[in-house]
Amino acid sequence: MHPLLNLSASQAFSFVRGMSRRRSIRLTSEGARYLLFTFGIGLAAINTGNNLFYLLLAMMLSLIVISGLLSEHCLRRLEFHRHVPDLIIANEPITLTLSVANRNRHLPSFSLRLLDVVEGQDVDRGLAIHFLPPQSSMLLSYPLLATKRGWIKFEGIRAQTLFPFGLFLKKGLYSTEAHLLVSPPIKPLALRFVDELVSEGQGESLPRRGHGTQLYNLRLYQPGDDSRAIHWMTTARTSQLIVRETEAEDQRRITVVLSIMAPVEREPLFERSVTFVASLLWQLTERAYPVRLIAGTVDSGLGSGPGHLLAMLRLLALCKRQPPETSGVRHQSEPPPLTHVGERGYTVAVIPWSDQAAPTHAVQADRVLHATQLEELTHAF
Amino acid sequence: MPFDQAFALSSVLLATIAFSGLVLAQSVPLWLALPTAIILIVSLLHAGGVLFVRQALAKVSVSSTLWNFLLIGAFVVFLIDLTVISRDLLPAGIRFLVMLLCIKLLTLQQRRDYRHLYAISLMAILASGALTTDAWYVPIFLLYLLATVWTLLLYHLTQETAETPAVVIPTSKSARHTTFPSRVTHRFLWLTNGTAILTVALTVAIFFLIPRIGAGVLQKTSGEALRTTGFSDRVDLGTIGSVKQDPQIVMRVELPDQPVVEKDRLYLRGLAYDQYNGRSWSHSGTRRRSLSLVAEGTFLARPAGSRPPGSLSMPIRQDILLETLDTSVLFAAPFAELVNGEFLTIQADAMSGLHLPFLPSSRIRYSVTSQIPQLVADERTASVLAYSDSIRSHYLQVPMGSQQVADLAHRVTQQATTPFGQTLAIQQHLLENYRYSLEADTSTLSHPLEEFLFTRKTGYCEHYATAMVVMLRTIGIPARLVTGFLATEWNEYGGYFTVRQRDAHAWVEVYFPRSGWITMDPTPTASAAAATSRWDSLSRLGESFQLQWDRLFVRYSAKDQLAAVHGVREGGDALRERVSRWVSSLSTSISQVLNRLTHMTRAFQPGMLGLITGVVVVGLALLLLNLRDRIGLWATAHLPTSHPQLAIVQLYSRMLHTVEKHGVSKPSAATPNEFARLVEQEWKAAGPMVADVTALYHQGRFSRTPLTSDELSRAAKQVGRLQSLTHKAR
Repeated sequence: MHPLLNLSASQAFSFVRGMSRRRSIRLTSEGARYLLFTFGIGLAAINTGNNLFYLLLAMMLSLIVISGLLSEHCLRRLEFHRHVPDLIIANEPITLTLSVANRNRHLPSFSLRLLDVVEGQDVDRGLAIHFLPPQSSMLLSYPLLATKRGWIKFEGIRAQTLFPFGLFLKKGLYSTEAHLLVSPPIKPLALRFVDELVSEGQGESLPRRGHGTQLYNLRLYQPGDDSRAIHWMTTARTSQLIVRETEAEDQRRITVVLSIMAPVEREPLFERSVTFVASLLWQLTERAYPVRLIAGTVDSGLGSGPGHLLAMLRLLALCKRQPPETSGVRHQSEPPPLTHVGERGYTVAVIPWSDQAAPTHAVQADRVLHATQLEELTHAF
Repeated sequence: MPFDQAFALSSVLLATIAFSGLVLAQSVPLWLALPTAIILIVSLLHAGGVLFVRQALAKVSVSSTLWNFLLIGAFVVFLIDLTVISRDLLPAGIRFLVMLLCIKLLTLQQRRDYRHLYAISLMAILASGALTTDAWYVPIFLLYLLATVWTLLLYHLTQETAETPAVVIPTSKSARHTTFPSRVTHRFLWLTNGTAILTVALTVAIFFLIPRIGAGVLQKTSGEALRTTGFSDRVDLGTIGSVKQDPQIVMRVELPDQPVVEKDRLYLRGLAYDQYNGRSWSHSGTRRRSLSLVAEGTFLARPAGSRPPGSLSMPIRQDILLETLDTSVLFAAPFAELVNGEFLTIQADAMSGLHLPFLPSSRIRYSVTSQIPQLVADERTASVLAYSDSIRSHYLQVPMGSQQVADLAHRVTQQATTPFGQTLAIQQHLLENYRYSLEADTSTLSHPLEEFLFTRKTGYCEHYATAMVVMLRTIGIPARLVTGFLATEWNEYGGYFTVRQRDAHAWVEVYFPRSGWITMDPTPTASAAAATSRWDSLSRLGESFQLQWDRLFVRYSAKDQLAAVHGVREGGDALRERVSRWVSSLSTSISQVLNRLTHMTRAFQPGMLGLITGVVVVGLALLLLNLRDRIGLWATAHLPTSHPQLAIVQLYSRMLHTVEKHGVSKPSAATPNEFARLVEQEWKAAGPMVADVTALYHQGRFSRTPLTSDELSRAAKQVGRLQSLTHKAR
């Protein structure tokens, strides 16, 4: 066979398959009864040869055809646009919006029920449009409560209609692919624990130039320096313009290291540990600490503020538990050795599972939270 | 009207229409029809929101136990009806159905009750379809279909609104103006009725396409045959009079090949009688022969080997739809030559009467080609006619004691010199000296003919015809009496004769050796006025509709389907042939024009040809230049773009360019709104257009929803107007 013929046949096949995937039809209970009556009248018509029975049969069949045509018309030329945020937090309700446009020139769409298609499953969010005029659009909003961290993949929207007679449920699939990242939930932590952690971190602070009140250094004035910073006494003494530099007050840098190695039976604790780390990072950011997160091999780098927090939450949203290996070789997912101790600041290691064969001292940290402590800290999550 | 109310109303209307079908089929007795009608009226008023009915019904409370007892009671009545009273499933079932309908109408509360009501209604309309083939079923069916569409649609929509309250924020202007209609609006009316019309069209198409199969398992033939008189082996004088007032339709006769035929009357011959005993007519011979089959479904009526009718006879084709009668006689204009129909066999008696071998159980459609004999000119003037012995022995018989009649015949014909003249004289005498009356009942008299001729001098067709036959026979002219129908009611709408029971008629056939049997009618025309009123005209229109309904729907068969397929194929062939002929003629004329052009080109100077080509090219270029703005605008507004915002941005840029041509440039720091205000100040006429395009530009560029094609067209139109304004200003 000619290759072009082959191509067109395969294209036709894929078209038919695509169409069948996009459109499906299901009989309702009313429809089943209706078909039963139609079948009965058909039998009576065939048995008697009575043309008036054939007329009634034709009426019932034409209502089925009209039902198919009108329901198809309701689902044709619909356009969906979904508006999703970049990142949401698990267990916190958010509102998603969906705009639906009827691009049909003349005829409206009726009785539409919209379902989210998430990972191959139809999820009913209670979205319904009774009437969508031609050449018009509507904005629908609905609450979403994500319970798990990670990606939510919105594959599309499935629109279904019972219009016009409620005999058949016709469904159409519209591709509106969107990805939504869900960070671990933020839970309240014991204030005592956070305060204790912060006070421990004070001792680990390194002096550096910045805003503050303590003297850091005296140096020669350079153009552009703030004239209010001139140290007049030294200037008078040395007959040179000398400025005063202060020591930065935000020196309490904290690094949180999350061990992602845990066997499958420790999955719940691992998840709680991720939640714990997210909550801790949130608390520290609230207190304006420069924070760094190391989850497995991924390092967020040091930073502060809400933007950095979101970046760290994104890392936590995507971090995956690694099953431990039986060999004694160090696993790839273990945190990288912190080469410059000065960059690390105060280090808190969160280890939901410890391998007996590889002792925990492999992780250099100022404070190590083991499974027992984590159980205690996260039992209320 | 709110949807809930419209739903209840349409549901009760559906039941009402189905019940009307049963009533029109005369299948519901009065004792049941009356209370059902009252219940339906009350239900309609209740559903229609009539306050006092609602209040009255609200006061009445009946327990569900009582309704259950009533249901059981209805079932018991049905069993008694089926086993003792009617002993027939159909009438007993219909009565049970009507009782169920009443009970359901009085207990309509839940959606389940409505579903039951629809099922009962469907059964009722089905039952009425089983009981009738009349054309009244058409409006009932159409109304039922309309009510079904309304009811199903409202059933779905009311359920939908109850189940899913929608959370919707309309974003576009049009959507804002049209929120979900929970009332019956004009738009809803259009939608529903449009759907109903579409359903009707599709129903008709499917009806004609469904393959016709009639299995006939457990089928019971029903329907009473119409009682006729005058077509049995023995006919008492005066029996036809009993049906002369009956308006029931016996048959419809079309004359497809006779556009110029006299349509005032048509004799439809049934049986002929040759023996008269003074009170009744009978046949002398009872033997019948089977007609020979000459083609599929076509029978030759004249005996095989007999000579065809002479050139003087007039052929006439009739398509006859005969109702179910209690006789096996087939009627046709005298004398049948060919008979076509779905018959296994047809028989003919010695006097050219056509018979089916058994009584028909349903309507029959058949076609007959008849040859109406005309009197040969020689026999009009011949003083003596030679009759064969067989004719003499059969058709000159007179009853004993007819001397008085013979004297009358001789007296009437004494002036006439030829047999034809004598015949005319007797006919004329009867026409002029006797009065037509249906009140003359002579069936109980011992000498009805003498009573008619000498005492009462009033009678109807049988008396006249009998008198003429006996009088002719007494003077030696062979004649016989014929019974049949005289069709006089021409339906101009359907193009056919409607023949009723009251058109039953008797007339005379007179024998002429060379011409054959010539029809003569001594009965004067009845004094009944011709049907000219508007009501009669409407009645004929209805009649015509009934015939079409019968032909197209009731009697539609697999044979018709095959004929339609053949018709389509032949039509397709004819169309193809016509198209190919048209294409060939077109190609011929094009080649002729081309040849002429080539010839002209050869004749022209090359310079002239170049000049013409140049003019055409320049003209086309100028035309394109002139239209380029419009084409560009149309393309921007209508052709799909890679991004929904792109079209309006292009239109806005075009607008800026146009305004700039007029000398108003957009400063780079000015926002679109500031620029629109600037244009308003600098060039007042363009202000509204620029403002409109700017608003659309804002909406399309910065809002979340892209512009609709209508809005884009509006923007293109405004830019077009701006461009024409610029041209005018120049």
